[in-house]
Amino acid sequence: MASLPKRIIKETERLVSDPVPGITAEPHDDNLRYFEVTIEGPAGSPYENGIFQLELYLPDDYPMEAPKVRFLTKIYHPNIDRLGRICLDVLKTNWSPALQIRTVLLSIQALLASPNPNDPLANDVAEDWIKNEEGAKNKAREWTQLYATKK
Amino acid sequence: MKAWETLDTLKILQTHIKKSDSNRIMTEGYTYDYSDDDSADSIEFYNSGHLSPSTRKDHLTKATKVTSILSQESGFEIDDGLYSDNDYDDYDQAYLDNVLAEPISSQEKKELSKGTVPNLKYECLTTQNIFENMLGKVNHLQPIFNIPSEDILILLQHYDWNEERLLEVWTERMDDLLIEIGINPNHGKSIDKLSTKDKINDDELNQATGASRDVVFKNKFYCIICCEEKSTETFALECGHEYCIDCYRHYIEDKLHSGNIINCMGCSLALKNEDIDKIMGHPSSTKLMLSSIKSFVSKHNRNYKWCPFADCNCIIHLKDTSSLAEYSRLHYSPFVKCSHSHKFCFTCGFEMHAPADCNITNAWVKKARKESENLNWVLSHTKECPKCSVNIEKDGGCNHMICSSCKYEFCWICEGDWAPHGKSFYQCTLYKNDETNGNGTKTEDVAKTMKKYTFYYRMFNEHEVSAKLDWKLGQTVGNKVKALQEKMGISWIEGQFLTDSIRTLNEGRTALKWSFAVAFYSDSSHNLTKIFVDNQSLLSKAVEDLSELLQIKDPEVIMAKKTEFYNKTGYVENRTYALMECGRDLLCKGICKSG
Repeated sequence: MASLPKRIIKETERLVSDPVPGITAEPHDDNLRYFEVTIEGPAGSPYENGIFQLELYLPDDYPMEAPKVRFLTKIYHPNIDRLGRICLDVLKTNWSPALQIRTVLLSIQALLASPNPNDPLANDVAEDWIKNEEGAKNKAREWTQLYATKK
Repeated sequence: MKAWETLDTLKILQTHIKKSDSNRIMTEGYTYDYSDDDSADSIEFYNSGHLSPSTRKDHLTKATKVTSILSQESGFEIDDGLYSDNDYDDYDQAYLDNVLAEPISSQEKKELSKGTVPNLKYECLTTQNIFENMLGKVNHLQPIFNIPSEDILILLQHYDWNEERLLEVWTERMDDLLIEIGINPNHGKSIDKLSTKDKINDDELNQATGASRDVVFKNKFYCIICCEEKSTETFALECGHEYCIDCYRHYIEDKLHSGNIINCMGCSLALKNEDIDKIMGHPSSTKLMLSSIKSFVSKHNRNYKWCPFADCNCIIHLKDTSSLAEYSRLHYSPFVKCSHSHKFCFTCGFEMHAPADCNITNAWVKKARKESENLNWVLSHTKECPKCSVNIEKDGGCNHMICSSCKYEFCWICEGDWAPHGKSFYQCTLYKNDETNGNGTKTEDVAKTMKKYTFYYRMFNEHEVSAKLDWKLGQTVGNKVKALQEKMGISWIEGQFLTDSIRTLNEGRTALKWSFAVAFYSDSSHNLTKIFVDNQSLLSKAVEDLSELLQIKDPEVIMAKKTEFYNKTGYVENRTYALMECGRDLLCKGICKSG
């Protein structure tokens, strides 16, 4: 593998030495561009107490290209589909090389705190969310209980 | 050529038209005015060939129209560098293009009397044309906005070059708009924070140095993008987000093809074109503008269409799409012609497909794709000599084949003896319906349809291949005319009948080709279909004759047969028109249906 850019080494070092509260990100031993990530559900949200696993991959063109992030844990959220793909502007059009892994992960955490059903990825979930917000939140809580809690 | 020069030549053109009463202008000195006549065409085309009512007389009004357009849009210049005066090398290709782009006058007259469908008003552009047009818009908006033209360019780009919408939003909320799009309203002054993007500022990110839109060299600079500390050139906008030149270049390079506005990596401040050029070290911003216009064209595909021909960069802009409905109702197709004389249908984006309409074309093309592709190749490329079974690949336009090994003369299409073809009625386009006993079983029916399809498809393919070969032939016609000029000492304009012939031949072949799609979908028992097939045969014969005539290489023979050229060309024109009308009749009466 080609040598790792200094930028990635720096970011990785900082993620370990100065971690973001509620978020962990560890590079894979075999591939230092591949990160195993966990995000705690934000307090006050239906995802509270849940620990969600994600994978993050830094493409060859990083930081010119956005990192690829995907949920591995099942989650009931209007902007996250069944395959765990995330609809988030900073991962797509609004990506800027000045952003970092940590800022992206913080944005994802913020997305958990405030779902945006008007710009949905999972249409059925979003519809549910708009029609019956309480019910949808309950379901999200249920799923968090079922899939995102350590047993 | 500059706009004002064109105006001048147009005036000359007008006087010339007044003087001449014949359709063909024979004056020697006229030649390049003639080509400028076509530059007029490149601005205001009328539907060429089959719907245009413009006669020579109309060129006069055309010319005056151009004059008015030029005076209105000063930013719009016509690029006809091809027709440089006295430049003999360019001249050759230029006049070929010209003459190919010239509408056929005899057909025009016919269309004039018809007058059933409105003219298509369209212009042929390149991305460069559109870009220049946009620059004109910027100049036009500058006094209203009272901000630097660079900023207006960014605004227009953001609004997909939609002037009206931009003005609307501008009057509603001008300051917000500027900030939203990333234009610094306090021009040139450094600002504290313009960030509207949801970004988390680390201590590392805050490196505000107050640098202002210029490339600066620094001995020691730490770039937060690549995390390298080095002596390098850097760039920053008023926001002070400073990055090393390598990262900036990499960033811009990636974004140039997107066509979107490029922002500072740290905030939403937009990079102007001059900034981009400064960073890249060479003019790259035009690339961004062109890709922006490309995306504009794809977004506005109701009015704008790319020419479908390979490597052709022309864009056709149809100004008024309201007449398209009328076209499809009458089973006409809105054919347009780009400045490289590629004709295509504006509705389906396919090559010229008359007499078939868009539905028939679509059905036919889909069907052809489904059927075996190998079969197509074998059918279209080789045949065995009916006498000695030598494999023959056809490499010339004419269907009169002479086997090189046994010297047997046969017709490429029906593989029968050639002798009757030359004299008697040309029978090759006729599908022989061998229905002896009406009631067959279902499998027989399927087999029969397949057989019918294979037959028509073969014919279609035959003419497609021939058309391609004719096109190649057309490329050499320029040389032929030149040879005529040199050896026979005749004038350029006199040699034009050759170019006319090849163009007519092309049109005839295309019509013939698509007529087989129409024939396939038509009810073969109907009388009109029979008339249509007869028309096909006649055109087929006419086209073959003309094609054979065009094979002649000796200039002396060509000149001797000049009248024959004229006659046969005229005949093909008439037959093509008749076939198209007949096909349209079939479509209008519902005898030909794709369903």
